[in-house]
Amino acid sequence: MTPTVQIEGSVGRVILSGQFDFSAHREFRQVCESIIANPDIKEVLVDFQNVNYLDSSALGMLLLLKEKIAAASKTLALVNCRDTVKQVLEIACFGKIFTIR
Amino acid sequence: MVVDDTEAILLLISRFVEALGHSALVARNGQQALEVWREEQPDLVLMDVMMPVMSGPEAAVQIKAEAGATWVPIVFVTGVGEENALADAIERGADDYINKPVNFRVLEAKLKAFGRTLDLNRKVRDQSKTLADYYERAEEEKRVVRHLMEQMVNSERLADPQFEYWLSPAESLSGDLIAAARTPGQALHILLADGIGHGLTAALNVLPLTQPFYSMTEKGYSITDILFEMNAKVRQVLPIGRFVCVSLISIDEVSGTIEIWNAGMPPIQILGADKSVLRICSSSNLPLGIVPSHSLDLVPERIYYKDAGYIVAYSDGLVEARNSSQSEYGLHSLLSIIQSTSASSVIESVQANLLEFLAGEQHHDDVSLVVARFGLNETELQAKLDVESAKPAQQASNIDFNQVGECNWRYSLILSAEELRYVNTIPFMMSFVKEIKSLTHVQSDVFLILTELFVNAVDHGLLRLDSKIKTQADGMEVYLAQRAERLLELQDGRIEIDLMGLRYKDSEMLKIRVKDNGPGFDWGATFSSNDSHSIPSATFGRGIALIRALSVKVQFIGLGNEVEIYYLPKSNT
Repeated sequence: MTPTVQIEGSVGRVILSGQFDFSAHREFRQVCESIIANPDIKEVLVDFQNVNYLDSSALGMLLLLKEKIAAASKTLALVNCRDTVKQVLEIACFGKIFTIR
Repeated sequence: MVVDDTEAILLLISRFVEALGHSALVARNGQQALEVWREEQPDLVLMDVMMPVMSGPEAAVQIKAEAGATWVPIVFVTGVGEENALADAIERGADDYINKPVNFRVLEAKLKAFGRTLDLNRKVRDQSKTLADYYERAEEEKRVVRHLMEQMVNSERLADPQFEYWLSPAESLSGDLIAAARTPGQALHILLADGIGHGLTAALNVLPLTQPFYSMTEKGYSITDILFEMNAKVRQVLPIGRFVCVSLISIDEVSGTIEIWNAGMPPIQILGADKSVLRICSSSNLPLGIVPSHSLDLVPERIYYKDAGYIVAYSDGLVEARNSSQSEYGLHSLLSIIQSTSASSVIESVQANLLEFLAGEQHHDDVSLVVARFGLNETELQAKLDVESAKPAQQASNIDFNQVGECNWRYSLILSAEELRYVNTIPFMMSFVKEIKSLTHVQSDVFLILTELFVNAVDHGLLRLDSKIKTQADGMEVYLAQRAERLLELQDGRIEIDLMGLRYKDSEMLKIRVKDNGPGFDWGATFSSNDSHSIPSATFGRGIALIRALSVKVQFIGLGNEVEIYYLPKSNT
């Protein structure tokens, strides 16, 4: 999986695709670091439109991202979560600590 | 190493090689070449084909065999008419050849080329050695962690007739954890946990859970308290981004209560005696290790049962196990095999069924499954209680109270309303009881008596709660809500608890005194005789009947807000 980034004004969108698991670890981290380092971006959206599978290590990566984004005083939302992704996020009750749209 | 039986050629080639900056060793036949090679281990061999004593190809075969995994390039220096011998030699392992008379420009180029290949070869060998070292170290680490896990998970305690379990790691180490223990009051606690990923790091994630689980269960803490501590522990030791999905189940056969708390694990299925699904306890909490304990809702789902049934808890690795056509095993398959099997071991049927489904494929995530039973020995338990309440375990008449001697030790505790709101009294006292030699083997009895006396004093003595509420539909929930509310409002409540070790013949008798500052009750009328059957409500009577069954004497004092009981530990055999 290679995440792509779209920047529209102060919003940075990380678009993921395929299987989001530990194998995506490095690319995901690199993309996120570049977004966090960008001072123009105030809001980060992680887009799950094209993700068909998500495992617990992906949840761990999201928690790490949340921590880093909060430290950089930006906001974070998980968007376009459907089917499997939504189900996994629901079981983990991530709605309690993440904005999910 | 240069090998040739013609002195002139030997000299010529070795001088040339030295001029290129290498150092040259010389040998005059195959046999010598072998000896020098064994002694000096040269990097490359330039060798004549036809030589006395031992030919070049023969020596080459020998050197290659002895060098083993180390690559020693062997280049033949051949004359005209030696092509057949050369072909043979190359076939048997030689690396290259150069024609006589030697063209030094070509020899130089060839030596350089071999130099490059040798460097590459060494690098690969070093790397594969490092890799092998890593592998060995990783294996050793796994061995240690596996041992650690086995010790901490304590499979002995998992051998409990009330439940079956199955744990099958995807790698040599499991990131799923199953643990079970019983409280002093015999409530069964089962922990099912799933750390992120699998293998070593996942296993390390779940390890911090074991210690609070076992030690707090043994002291009789509720699962809420245990979860609070486990979450704190996981947060303390794990880095950000690591968390543990957990379900904690408590089955209390005495009160017929199941408590379930599910955080991030698949829905737990409660089945009736006919194995139809009665209720589903879905995850409603964040996994442990993400937010501080005080921001978690640690109140478990409570289920009150009268009939027997099953609790089925599993990790996602089971229902998401995929076969070669990429279809998942699924909850439906799991439930139908559980429902249709008539085998005594439900787990074995599931194992066989999953194996058949996977048809040789490996499951990609750790698989764990627990099937626990409840309401099993309800009748048995009831019978036991009835018999015991009719006929005390130790006949009071056999006890000569004149022989009760002085006090060996005494432990007193006074709590006011403030402390009653937050001190977890009984587990706290149990850590003392555990240390008393005459009581260590009867902790369970002491726990039950203390709990009943304490609950009576607080619920009925101070909070004036009516046990009859419990018998209504949803009664237990109403009762607990009322209890929480009244406890919060309680102003001048006070409870005194004394434990005393009294000398009795050559053993020790335990005396427990519990006093509350409530108005008491008319115990004379309630217990008109020593007959426990006269106690009105079954739910209410159970506590007192239990105490009577366990102890040798129960005595209400004054207004009925004070009670003394004597307990004689059975001999420790």
